Amino acid sequence: MTNIGVYICHCGTNIAGVVDVEGLTQKVAKLKDVSLAKDYKYMCSEPGQDLIREDIKNRNLDRVVVAACSPRMHENTYKKVLASAGLNPFLLEIANIREQASWVHLDKEKTTDKALDLIKMAVAKVRMDEPLTSLSANVIQRVLVIGAGIAGIQTSLDIANIGFDVVLVEKEQSIGGRMSQLGKTFPTLDCSACILTPKMVEVSLNPRIKLFTYSEVEEISGFIGNFKAKIRKKSRGLDESLCTGCGLCQEKCPTKVPSEYDEKMGKRKAIYTLFPQAVPNIPVIDRASCLYITKGKCGVCKKVCPAGAIDYERTDEFIEEEIGAVVVATGFDPFDPVSKEEYGFGIYRNVITGLQLERLLHAAGPTKGEVVRPSDGAIPKRIAFVQCVGSRDEHANKYCSRVCCMYAIKNALLIKEHHPESEIFIYYIDIRAFGKGYEEFYKRAQENGIKFMRGRVAEIFEEQKSRNPVIRADDTLLGMVTENELDMVVLSVGMIPRSDSSKIQKMLGLAASPDGFFMEAHAKLRPVDTLVDGVFLAGTAQGPKDIPDTVAQAKGAASGALEVISHKTLQLSPLISEVDERLCRGCGDCKDVCEYGAIEIVTLDTHKVARINPAICKGCGACAVACCNGSIKLRNYTDSITFAMLDATLGGAV
Amino acid sequence: MPITRNIIRINDLNSGFIDEFVESGRKIFGEDVLRSVELCIQCGCCTGSCPSGRRTAFRTRKIFRETSLGFKDSVLGSDDLWLCTTCYTCYERCPRGVKTTDIIRVLRNMAVREGYMADAHRMTASYVFKTGHGVPANEEVQKQRVELGLNRLPPTTHSFPEALRSVQEVLRLTGFDEIVGFNWETMELRGRI
Repeated sequence: MTNIGVYICHCGTNIAGVVDVEGLTQKVAKLKDVSLAKDYKYMCSEPGQDLIREDIKNRNLDRVVVAACSPRMHENTYKKVLASAGLNPFLLEIANIREQASWVHLDKEKTTDKALDLIKMAVAKVRMDEPLTSLSANVIQRVLVIGAGIAGIQTSLDIANIGFDVVLVEKEQSIGGRMSQLGKTFPTLDCSACILTPKMVEVSLNPRIKLFTYSEVEEISGFIGNFKAKIRKKSRGLDESLCTGCGLCQEKCPTKVPSEYDEKMGKRKAIYTLFPQAVPNIPVIDRASCLYITKGKCGVCKKVCPAGAIDYERTDEFIEEEIGAVVVATGFDPFDPVSKEEYGFGIYRNVITGLQLERLLHAAGPTKGEVVRPSDGAIPKRIAFVQCVGSRDEHANKYCSRVCCMYAIKNALLIKEHHPESEIFIYYIDIRAFGKGYEEFYKRAQENGIKFMRGRVAEIFEEQKSRNPVIRADDTLLGMVTENELDMVVLSVGMIPRSDSSKIQKMLGLAASPDGFFMEAHAKLRPVDTLVDGVFLAGTAQGPKDIPDTVAQAKGAASGALEVISHKTLQLSPLISEVDERLCRGCGDCKDVCEYGAIEIVTLDTHKVARINPAICKGCGACAVACCNGSIKLRNYTDSITFAMLDATLGGAV
Repeated sequence: MPITRNIIRINDLNSGFIDEFVESGRKIFGEDVLRSVELCIQCGCCTGSCPSGRRTAFRTRKIFRETSLGFKDSVLGSDDLWLCTTCYTCYERCPRGVKTTDIIRVLRNMAVREGYMADAHRMTASYVFKTGHGVPANEEVQKQRVELGLNRLPPTTHSFPEALRSVQEVLRLTGFDEIVGFNWETMELRGRI
């Protein structure tokens, strides 16, 4: 004998304004197996919840239907009510008579009829629902952080300082990321290294952080709470345990090549560290330019190394780590302006990118902080910044990169500070100074005589003799086309996803937004989560952002990861698919349709069957539909339940 | 104005004009007031607020843009500069705190020194030389004064002709006669109007 209680919510006038709640309640009370039906102004309120709780106890209800708003809003609230009254929380159904009835219709009578139909279906379903118990899985209480720029560093420090272990993997030979390339930061003009290097040192000294540099994550398997990562530790061409970081090898190495870290504005040796404060302070041999490796000659570094650390034959190592959660903090690449041919980058030597200028302005950069023209080494006196290079552009990147206005203003101010007599122009479409103190910073640039020229630069050409770049642009404020001959032009390029981000995306099963950056689970309410449980995003891997936003998101990602790994076990929803192994033939159709990789085909003694990993299964039901002989069913969403619901509304069988 | 093929060459603009402008008005308003022209973000609030601009081609915003960039001749030689009524509406509304009206007044001073003075203003100035009044009390005014119970002439140079000589001396000493182009012999403006 089933004893169903139905509770109809007015939701103030949200439902009661369109639905005849009282008439509806009377009709519902007469449905089969419904032992009572009640309506109340706000069912989710404390008295509303008490009403249900008391009835379960006093009227011996064994199943409950709440006709109210979307289950997304309050299903959990009512599940807790059932549990607190001693009833299995899966014996609850929500009839959504707000979003699916009162909010979308005007006719009172028809809407009330529809609400009745929705309740009839819910009653038909709840009658057949089975009580379920949540599953639990053990959690490996460690976090893998991929990428050790400012985002990865902050996330790792937060997690480690709270008392959990972190595996931090960095592709480059030192941690620090893009921020370490920058000279100063806006709007405070803090020296980037001064605020970053203490955090880098903190990472290297924290016993809870296991740091892998010059390493890449090659494979990740498993599921929330139980991931396994395969890490490739690339060979540095030396024994790290012996190297003391004395730097003698770098000094003596005879080979010089353009430095990628300096954005080709300076040179590095074939054995090199990225910068003096590198963590760890251990060099790498670049196998492509090392004379010994390419031609069998030289060997100077090996001869001079006092520790005997050089080992040309050293090979990559592979390490496996188990973790419970993953934070992806892989950062960005700068947009390559070569494709914007009208600006002549790569052809005109005195046209450089914003990141190249950062290297010139950096006190430890190739020019020790002096800005010079690439063509002749002269100090440029007339400089223009070209904004939105490759940004807000249907031919390149449609989005705004959010940092270029401010970094151009910052670098313009720094140059003006060094050389007050210089004339500086910033060509812009809009100035986007959205952050704290940014508008004030923009005003400060104006106060210092930096000229803001409104109009997207149409083209740049070069005066052949002087190699001076000339900008041609419509000054849309004057309404006149202008030409401006300059000593140097800086292209304010935006951020694009890392060139290898699709590899990470595939490895983790992440989604990407149309801009190519990794996609968050919800643009507003879950901005650091991904759709893969246990995987979080931090920093510019998710989209262009400045340092303050990156650090804030990194702290958010740390909190997300901690929420997963701070418990020893994990509750998993039991609303998942299950396989009847007596019927399953192991054809694998279900595995093919599973978006989450939750299904595995295993071989038993006599035949193959599909096995579903309950920790990965999301209960979407795709496998149950694909199964050719009905051996997979989605719990509480079986075919017979679905047909009963259809009968309830179409066949009048209730 | 430096125009080549209808293209403005930024290099040919007078980049020192802004400093010249600040220097020119420093004693009257102070440097900060005049430098505020560089804070203009060209939002157009001034032009939109301008009662004169509603009836004429006067575009306040453009004056600030041209001043910042160094369009010296175009700013100082423009008739528009004289269309401002100095009502101070834009001054009060400017979101960037640009001291609009003060800037225009200094630009006018500069324009006059460069020889750009509207004939109407020269004519008005000539009355000061001749009568000590920009707007002398003509017969109609004198009649109205009597009707209102006042003396026929106000207690100014009109009543005290010897005071007019003092005013003229001031005009001579400040060089205003040269700026306006006043001929003491004929007691008229030089050149045709």
